[in-house]
Amino acid sequence: MSNSILESTSGESTAMSADKPVSVTVMSMQQALNRALDEVLAENPKAVIFGEDCGRLGGVFRITDGLQARHGAQRVFDTPLAESGILGMSVGLAMAGFHPIPEVQFDGFAYPAINQIVCQIARMNYRSRGTMPMPITLRVPSFGGIRAPEHHGESLEALFAHVPGLKVVSPSNPHEAYHLLKYAATRPDPVIFMEPKSRYWQKGEVDFAADGDAPTGSKVMREGRHLTLVAWGAMVSRCLQVAELAAEDGIDIEVLDLRWLKPIDAAGLAASVRKTRRAVVVHEAPLTSGLGAEVAQLITQSCFDTLKAPVERVTGFDVPYPSGDLEDEYIPNIDRILFGIQRVLEYKRG
Amino acid sequence: MAEISFPLPDLGEGLIEATVLEWLVSPGEQVERNQPLVEVETTKSAVELPSPQAGKVVRIHGGPGDKINVGEPLIVFEVPDNTAGIVGTVPKEEAPKRRVRLSAVLDED
Repeated sequence: MSNSILESTSGESTAMSADKPVSVTVMSMQQALNRALDEVLAENPKAVIFGEDCGRLGGVFRITDGLQARHGAQRVFDTPLAESGILGMSVGLAMAGFHPIPEVQFDGFAYPAINQIVCQIARMNYRSRGTMPMPITLRVPSFGGIRAPEHHGESLEALFAHVPGLKVVSPSNPHEAYHLLKYAATRPDPVIFMEPKSRYWQKGEVDFAADGDAPTGSKVMREGRHLTLVAWGAMVSRCLQVAELAAEDGIDIEVLDLRWLKPIDAAGLAASVRKTRRAVVVHEAPLTSGLGAEVAQLITQSCFDTLKAPVERVTGFDVPYPSGDLEDEYIPNIDRILFGIQRVLEYKRG
Repeated sequence: MAEISFPLPDLGEGLIEATVLEWLVSPGEQVERNQPLVEVETTKSAVELPSPQAGKVVRIHGGPGDKINVGEPLIVFEVPDNTAGIVGTVPKEEAPKRRVRLSAVLDED
């Protein structure tokens, strides 16, 4: 069995800082997630990983590559192509004291499992007066950007965030992926872990120690004075590109990676927008009832008196996610985000 | 690199085997998804099997005239580890392009 995803990691550089060792490695998000899962399995004997092709193949995106060989087929295994069964089994395993880490192979495949997620996983702890917690970490390769067919590019965060009892999180880079997954997999509550599949292959520095970098709340990825771009998942890197371009025009943009989509870090949003007094929220999901509306309301609630303009949303459209050829027209691109920023910048009170 | 084996699929209505007529690819060859791999004959008809994926052919099983049972290995592909089994394509990292410029007079009150 190939362990090559882990082994092909570029050399780990362990340097000594003034007082403690710092371990920073350049790796892809695939490798960072793989390493996080490997460590979770090693640290928690109750953790089990399963899903379609998760075992022998190591997952269609290689996230579970080599884990079955290292931890055994009792703890990392394949399931039938039946998402309702995958999540139903997770409920039973959680009741029996396990920490299931199921994978739904693609976002759109979560629909057949919605009943198990909403009616069982999200409310079993509530229903049982706290005697049956559901420590389930559901990994969902999510969002678009890889030219895949229908059901392989959808953004379900607003659906999940709307369900009481679920937590929702999405990492934007390899460092975030490693730390957020390790944190999510130790929670006593169900967490929907939305992996931005278009960012799986992009490499970045992962600081495994990351002391003082709490895996909760939002995170400022770039500081700026004039406007806050709020994003999550794959849109964070695009917003960072936009911020660089805006700097050429003299506009200093702050990029806030929301990270946790339920609960949303209202205090972090408020702190950023109180400073910049302008905000644009960017997401791939359709506009109507998308999470951008929730973000806009939270900002309005906390910053109404100081906002220079209404919060803008730059999002996907209110249509089914299109086939690969039309993807670039659907996902917010650099120009659409810049237009959103311009609308905020030129807003005049009537 | 990872090896992925493609077994002979059930070619319809519960057929249990097929006879290889002619291989259209050979080991070492890079094939594309849907490229014809092999012509086989069943008790019903002769059919060309399209490739289920892109990859480099590592091994083929059975020569002309050989019978292969449904579910037995037909062909083995080699694919890069980090793209094995992927649906869709790995996005290219491109330098950001823009057509929109920002213009604003910012009052720093």
